[in-house]
Amino acid sequence: MTVNTDYLKEQRGQEWRVELRKKIKNKDRLTIERVKMPEMDPMERIKYQDKEVNLGLTLDAAMREASRCMDCANPTCIEGCPVSINIPKFVKNIERGEILDAASTLKETSALPAVCGRVCPQEKQCEARCFYVEKMKKDPVAIGYLERFAADYERESGSMSIPNVEDANGVKVATIGSGPAALSFAGDMVKLGYDVTVFEALHEIGGVLKYGIPEFRLPNSIVDVELDNLRKMGVKFETNFVVGRTASVEDLEEQGFKAFFVGSGAGLPRFMNIPGENYNGIMSSNEYLTRVNLMNAADDSYDTPVLKGKNVAVIGGGNTAMDSVRTAKRLGAERAMIIYRRSLEEMPARVEEVKHAMEEGIEFINLHNPVEYFANENGRVNKMKVQRMELGEPDASGRRRPVALDEYVELDVDLVVVAVGVSPNPLIPSCMPDLEVSRWGTIEVNEDKMQTSIPQLFAGGDIVRGGATVILAMGDGRKAAESMHGFLKEKYNL
Amino acid sequence: MNRIVNKQYLSENVVRMEIEAPLIARSRKPGNFIILRIGEKGERIPLTIADSDITNGTISIIVQNVGVSSKKLCTLEIGDEVTDLVGPLGKPTNVHKVGTILAMGGGVGIAPLFPIVKAFKQAGNRVVTVLAARSKDLLILEDEMREWSDEVVVMTDDGSYGEKGLITAGAERVIQNEKIDECIAIGPAVMMKFAAMLTKKYEIPTQASLNSIMVDGTGMCGACRVTVGGKTKFTCIDGPEFNAHEIDFDEMLMRLQAYVKEEKDAQAEQQ
Amino acid sequence: MANLSTRFFGLELKNPLVIASSGLTNSLENIKIFAESGAGAVVLKSIFEEEVYFEYEEMMRKQGGSHHFHEHLDYFDYQIKDENVKDYIRFISDVKEAVDIPVVGSINCISSGDWVQFASKIEAAGADAIELNLFILPSDLNKSASEASEFYLSTVKAVLAKVNIPVSVKISSYFSNLGGMVKELAEAGVAGVTMFNRFYSPDVDLNSLSLKAANVLSSPSEYVMPLRWIGLLAGRVECQLAATTGIHDADTAIKMLLAGADAVQLASIFYHKGPAYAKELLAEMEKWMDEKGFASVEEMKGKLSFTNAKNPGWYERVQFMNYFGEYNG
Repeated sequence: MTVNTDYLKEQRGQEWRVELRKKIKNKDRLTIERVKMPEMDPMERIKYQDKEVNLGLTLDAAMREASRCMDCANPTCIEGCPVSINIPKFVKNIERGEILDAASTLKETSALPAVCGRVCPQEKQCEARCFYVEKMKKDPVAIGYLERFAADYERESGSMSIPNVEDANGVKVATIGSGPAALSFAGDMVKLGYDVTVFEALHEIGGVLKYGIPEFRLPNSIVDVELDNLRKMGVKFETNFVVGRTASVEDLEEQGFKAFFVGSGAGLPRFMNIPGENYNGIMSSNEYLTRVNLMNAADDSYDTPVLKGKNVAVIGGGNTAMDSVRTAKRLGAERAMIIYRRSLEEMPARVEEVKHAMEEGIEFINLHNPVEYFANENGRVNKMKVQRMELGEPDASGRRRPVALDEYVELDVDLVVVAVGVSPNPLIPSCMPDLEVSRWGTIEVNEDKMQTSIPQLFAGGDIVRGGATVILAMGDGRKAAESMHGFLKEKYNL
Repeated sequence: MNRIVNKQYLSENVVRMEIEAPLIARSRKPGNFIILRIGEKGERIPLTIADSDITNGTISIIVQNVGVSSKKLCTLEIGDEVTDLVGPLGKPTNVHKVGTILAMGGGVGIAPLFPIVKAFKQAGNRVVTVLAARSKDLLILEDEMREWSDEVVVMTDDGSYGEKGLITAGAERVIQNEKIDECIAIGPAVMMKFAAMLTKKYEIPTQASLNSIMVDGTGMCGACRVTVGGKTKFTCIDGPEFNAHEIDFDEMLMRLQAYVKEEKDAQAEQQ
Repeated sequence: MANLSTRFFGLELKNPLVIASSGLTNSLENIKIFAESGAGAVVLKSIFEEEVYFEYEEMMRKQGGSHHFHEHLDYFDYQIKDENVKDYIRFISDVKEAVDIPVVGSINCISSGDWVQFASKIEAAGADAIELNLFILPSDLNKSASEASEFYLSTVKAVLAKVNIPVSVKISSYFSNLGGMVKELAEAGVAGVTMFNRFYSPDVDLNSLSLKAANVLSSPSEYVMPLRWIGLLAGRVECQLAATTGIHDADTAIKMLLAGADAVQLASIFYHKGPAYAKELLAEMEKWMDEKGFASVEEMKGKLSFTNAKNPGWYERVQFMNYFGEYNG
């Protein structure tokens, strides 16, 4: 996304911003310690699948943290944000106590601020580009905590603002999928006056936010409020609708839909194709998390079952692996282990998730990789063989790559969750032969426009990237909305 | 939405329901299935579409009253609504004209077999159908099958109707009597396993439709994975029909047991 | 008409001309031409362990920037490998269907591990034999010579234990005791050894003062090295031998056979002259044999090997000595 610098300059020049900058000397701002996020006690929190670990900042703490921000003339933090939130503006609004204004600033560009405040890898994005980090080698302003604070404050205040929506232009557009990319797209398009329908295959809207990310990290109720917001803006939601099966894109075009955004996600779990991987008790993180998060399997009053394990191994080192292993701990595992073939340093998971996992007693068996599973007479996994690894030369990502050693260890396990990534869902490409896809099944798009080989079809998120963070997917949704708007304006003289 | 417009007991434990689902009725093909959910606390269960009526905008499903969710479904009456219903899912049957088809259906597997028999007959094939049930009162859809088959052989375990014996006995006799070009087998996994062994012996291409455990039905969870020809496939998007001679039925039987303990606990709770 | 039939890869070949694994044997069209032109066997382009690694690297580079810690890339090498293996298996079956000469699958490995599993997949896909392209440039100063040879032997043994089709090995000359190594490989049970693998070599660009790739293709002068070792080892190790590198014409191929090779593997020359050159080359070989009165390849094979030659000292001589004359002319 291009950042509109004139707009930023104009905003920064507003009187209240100028006053606020004068109020505290930068030298004094620098001396303030970064706020610490209050957390639920680890031994207490592992008893609950649905209680959030981070408790959120108090108003005082948030205002104090906001006052650390220098309101830089050249706010590099915005460049680090895939949806280009006007970060200084919202932070400064918190500093002066106008929290609701801070919240509506977030909503100018983000459809899901309460979500992003919780799940974005800020340490690799906005916070990595903060003046404190880039110039002072100090801890960055806690932009993520502040974002969450503003969004939560507004929600709890009961006076949620609904962003301005332009007059309806009567043009129907649809999203295929309802995850972060699609929701972000829907939010932007409805603001521009389009008649937006979100089609979702599952019975709940939200995609990975609902089936994937556990409630201890992102409560479903938070997601629901954001969805409600979109609904109030006029977005229509259709669940239990598989585009390409229930009705085809052509059918929808006949019903008057002029353009589509495909955000159908990276649906297919990947396995490692090693011996024994189909034994019972070995499942994908998608299955495990969907059972627990979407289907509430941990609650006995729900019908969906989930296998519980005493010794649970989770394969992988990403956020999904952390979510799975911490879920296993909460469902009563005595031993909940991460099996990762690199070391702690190379893990792709958010730093905070790794820290939380460690506090909760998760064992990290790093530099090990599964090679085979064994089962009891009923076909239930009871043992796994893991191979020792060492780190070799750095690869293109700068991380040292794992090299297998001829040393093996056996571990007793009764549940294994494989969290080694996902592949794009083939459903949409398989029913649209003209749609260009890559060797890996991702939809090919023009990167500036997110437009596919079928002009009225745009795409973003995991179905294009193969895998992405929530916020990158949202960035794609915004970009697609902007260019689809251009496309439709031209085509239909809007 | 998803209103039940007709309900009929085919046997003591098997119910046929006709549900309003105009979009699915229009787009479904033989071999497709749906996933439904009863109540906000219900689980998602896959069921094959037995028939559809485009004019009335309804689909028919046939469900056996075993297990927590099926029981919940069976308690619904005409006028009630199914909470969630999504489909059609899975790859449809490759219906084409080949000559003579041998269709083997066992137990409640006769239900998903029915639309396939009908489609092959409509495509101009000769269809010989062998149906099997434990006893006479558990046999379903016999009349419908007779309507769409050139010949029907009925086998029962206890000999209470048709011939006494397993489905494979009836099928083998058909194979010995006339040239069969293709087979399709649907029923309990064990039955399909033996049906596949039989047709392999005679080298007749055979499809089997699997009823694996599923959660989402769109390829997301991988619970339905099955080994076919040495490769892992997902029943929901790669199937549900596969080359029966390549399916690892033993693994499939093992995987069907994955939640047996949990299911028992849930039933105990309900009682 | 001379009888050209021979044995290599543990297989009956109608002639000793084997099309070596190269970019040319990556295409079904080329392979069909090779077969039509009379080649004795074809070794498919290797599936490279390294290729998977490079593709993975490229992927990370492309999606790099500040977000390169992408979770989905963390194990992506598994998927790349799966995909490459799948493509290769499909290729083997396609080639097997299209031609009736023996088809040899080739694995290029730099480490053992699951590449061994891959050998059974090549077998299942219908390959007639497997060539292992074992590939270490011993540049690691901390590894001893015995560690390197141990790696070769253990990899070979692991593959032999997995498959029933014959396994051959293509080796480089970087061994402290090359002859001993070949002998050990033969004793381990390989059907044949091909000498020598040609490494990509570095060169210096004097204009830009940087490193560049040296000639990728072999040059005719390179044949003397394999010639020496084929000659030295023929008849003294329990496996078949093939020569490769620098064989660009019928004469050189014949020299190799006379030195004791059971077959010759050619690639570079076909880049210059096209796959159909195989026909010409075979015709020239036959012509020479007729002229010299050889009725079969068997008859001429090893005629001038270390064991059979009248003046075998040539194989062992490493320094020019005035005493032996020849060059004082």
